[in-house]
Amino acid sequence: MNDARAIELACDALKLASAAGAETAEASVSIARRFHAEARDNAISKLEASTGKGLFMRVFRGGRKATLTTSDFSPDGMSDAIRRAVAQADQVAVDEFAGLPDVVAAEAVDLALFDSRIADRDGAEKLDDAIKLERLIREADARVVNSSGSNYTDAIAVTAIANTSGFSAVYSWTRAGRSTGPVALDGGVKRIAHYGTAGRYLGDLEAPASVATTAVRRAVDLFGARKPPTMRMPVIFERDVAATFLDDIFAAASAGNVAIDNSWLTDRTGSRVGSELVTIVDDGRLVGKLGSSPFDGEGVPTQRTPVFERGTLRTFLYDTYYGRKLGAASTGNSTGGGIGPNNFYLEPGAMSLAELIAATPLGVLVLDTIGFATEHASGTYSRGARGFFIENGELAYPIDEFTVAGQYVDMLAHIDSVANDLQFDAAVVSPSFRVAELMVSGN
Amino acid sequence: MFDESLLSRLLDRALQHGGEYADVFCERRRTVSYRLQDGRVHDATYGVTLGIGVRVVFGESAGFASSDDLSTAALMEAADSAALIARTAPSGKTAAAGLRSENVPKLYDCDPVTAIEGSRYAALLERADRTARRYDPRIVAVNAHVVDELQEVWIASSDGRFVRDCRPLVTLGIQAVATDKKERSSGYVGDGGRTSIAYFDRQTPEMLAEDAARIATVNLSAVPAPAGEMEMIVGAGGGGVLLHEAVGHGLESDFNRRGTSLYSGRVGERVASELVTIYDDGNLHEERGSLNVDDEGVPGQHKVLVENGVLRGYMQDTLNARLMGAQSTGSGRRQSFRFAPQPRMCNTYMPNGDSTVEEIVASTQRGIFAKSFAGGQVEIAKGDFVFMVGEGYLVENGKITAPLRNATIVGNGPDAMRKVVAVGNDSRLARGHYTCGKGGQNVPVGVGMPTVKISSITVGGTQT
Repeated sequence: MNDARAIELACDALKLASAAGAETAEASVSIARRFHAEARDNAISKLEASTGKGLFMRVFRGGRKATLTTSDFSPDGMSDAIRRAVAQADQVAVDEFAGLPDVVAAEAVDLALFDSRIADRDGAEKLDDAIKLERLIREADARVVNSSGSNYTDAIAVTAIANTSGFSAVYSWTRAGRSTGPVALDGGVKRIAHYGTAGRYLGDLEAPASVATTAVRRAVDLFGARKPPTMRMPVIFERDVAATFLDDIFAAASAGNVAIDNSWLTDRTGSRVGSELVTIVDDGRLVGKLGSSPFDGEGVPTQRTPVFERGTLRTFLYDTYYGRKLGAASTGNSTGGGIGPNNFYLEPGAMSLAELIAATPLGVLVLDTIGFATEHASGTYSRGARGFFIENGELAYPIDEFTVAGQYVDMLAHIDSVANDLQFDAAVVSPSFRVAELMVSGN
Repeated sequence: MFDESLLSRLLDRALQHGGEYADVFCERRRTVSYRLQDGRVHDATYGVTLGIGVRVVFGESAGFASSDDLSTAALMEAADSAALIARTAPSGKTAAAGLRSENVPKLYDCDPVTAIEGSRYAALLERADRTARRYDPRIVAVNAHVVDELQEVWIASSDGRFVRDCRPLVTLGIQAVATDKKERSSGYVGDGGRTSIAYFDRQTPEMLAEDAARIATVNLSAVPAPAGEMEMIVGAGGGGVLLHEAVGHGLESDFNRRGTSLYSGRVGERVASELVTIYDDGNLHEERGSLNVDDEGVPGQHKVLVENGVLRGYMQDTLNARLMGAQSTGSGRRQSFRFAPQPRMCNTYMPNGDSTVEEIVASTQRGIFAKSFAGGQVEIAKGDFVFMVGEGYLVENGKITAPLRNATIVGNGPDAMRKVVAVGNDSRLARGHYTCGKGGQNVPVGVGMPTVKISSITVGGTQT
């Protein structure tokens, strides 16, 4: 029902843009019903349910572009906002690369992104989901004394896009997740851990018991953690942390950053950057996965793009604009306003994480990092971390308040083992991997 | 735009199943922004955020729903959704009090009719681009953006409060990228506040662009940061990010009411060196984090968080204040009508101490001088934090020596605050445009600090 409504709103917006003087235009409309229940202490502490709409639009006139985002769909509100956006285009410079895409998704593909079980799920059952998870973390270990809340979330949505070249398409999607944040008391120190699961299908989610066990283990296993010695040594990044590393690789491989000289990967296409084990793929066509969609934010069909193959950088990831600017075709990575990942992941290896730890005589296992990269130009990695010190292939003692640091290029070049634990529980994911040598800074 | 009688009806509807408190937050926000790269302004954006959020507070629980559809039927449906929280347990009926319009303080001028119009934006960016490129031939790229925003809010609550506020916010950000073929580095400088675009007649794009270009070129000759524990000097102004992360978040009342913060139940206790005093202030003229009223309609306040090392109080929103038997401190904030409020910081800063910068540097044997931070994060249960240094230098034998490349520092909030051994007499609020992202909600904040010395911290570099 919302499919037709979303297309209709997008087409209304295009008519208004033409009337306001746009020569070409593109409109995408999303309508999403979102639900969030948080439980604490056996009761629901937060309950949110809303339906939200958004219009995102690009208008072109005389080789100039302007963008509009609005949540005001009233006839007057829409026409006023579109008129202003078109007028704003006159303030910017002519840009020969600006314009609608050359290729749009011609045929519909079904990537199985919609789970009717989520759409039909009973409200009381959703509340029970959160309450059950909260009960499980408190039952799992007597040292869990508190929590920052246990959550169930879901979304049922449609995304439609249309442009003045006559293209229009729409798809529906769902997403659900559960997450928790147990707090355990380690003497006088509170230790909090977060763990969660997400997927397009309810059946893809990790069971509440498994989420609770992992979250609680992450809190209590760190009891008595101390700083590791400051030295260079092998570092294993557990898969959730490895995924945040892949986020940074994505940012550097994004043509938007390359084009503005803000990427350490600039000028490296065709050259060997990573080790043999580094094969990184962006794939928008994986059936039923969170990063999948039939077309991107400007209607370009998504595809499978090998970004690194056995260490060699093959391509950057493009939308239409930066593709034209840098002389490449779009890889179906437009978010509408910028460039974003589809399913962006490191190919898994054969070893389990346990085997990888056993094969590490001395090193560090990183389970969690805080901090984020803000400068992609120089490509320096440095994060606060916690995890375990590894001695003789075993987890010797928990460690925290330390950093791991290095250059991204060196880290990719020194990945010497990749585990088999890849899970598509987000758009950017990674199996655990080991970097042969990295600076660990503690005492 | 939102009339009192409709808001009264929504509040009644929200309390149909009971609950102690309900509020309605109506928002109209208009934003224009322009972006420059490759020497030309290549994108202009107009944005509108329009809708309402309805909340019902029931014991320790809150129900919330929002609607961007302003038809009466859709708004009533949102009120019905928010009301469901009170059906999770039996409760008595409550009636909303009649609304009284309240006047708000005036910390900033705001004209909802003529603001965010005009053709000045592109010229600001072009001036920044020219200045940065002229500064040094090694500047190879300039990326800049300007944002002019106007947020109008109408807030009504079941205890009868009805207030309006109009909040301007301007931002100019400039990134300069420098390269000398061997190294690549960037410098970023931003500025702005709750005022009009005329602000950049005083804080000119030339001044900001020159500074961004200076940092980018200085960083070309930067040496890799050291690794291990050493002394740290935190620079005046931008060093205030340290207070925001290392202390501020731990003093927000939601974490303390729930007992998940390491500062829970510790008001009156010594939590820092006696040199440490920290304020959070929503009342500063035209500052980025200032609010005539917060997003629950409560006037912004000057709060003493820590005084001479002793914890004095938390930052409260209405929900947590009610449950803790306290008063709201005007700290309830939200990203937009689509979000329920949380207790948040406004402008967080440390007042003057009595050391001079020269004394502080001269007393440092081996350490780093973090002039500004590019970002930070904290985990509030144990208080561990991480900061990325934006502009940093090595200090050796009492002298500032080489610039440092991308240093990260890691530490623990209370531990670092106990190790404050000198506080400078040069306190100021940071230039910049800081945004806090707690709980997935972005709100503008301010930070400030005098030059401060911490006796020991872990620096996460690569050089031993």
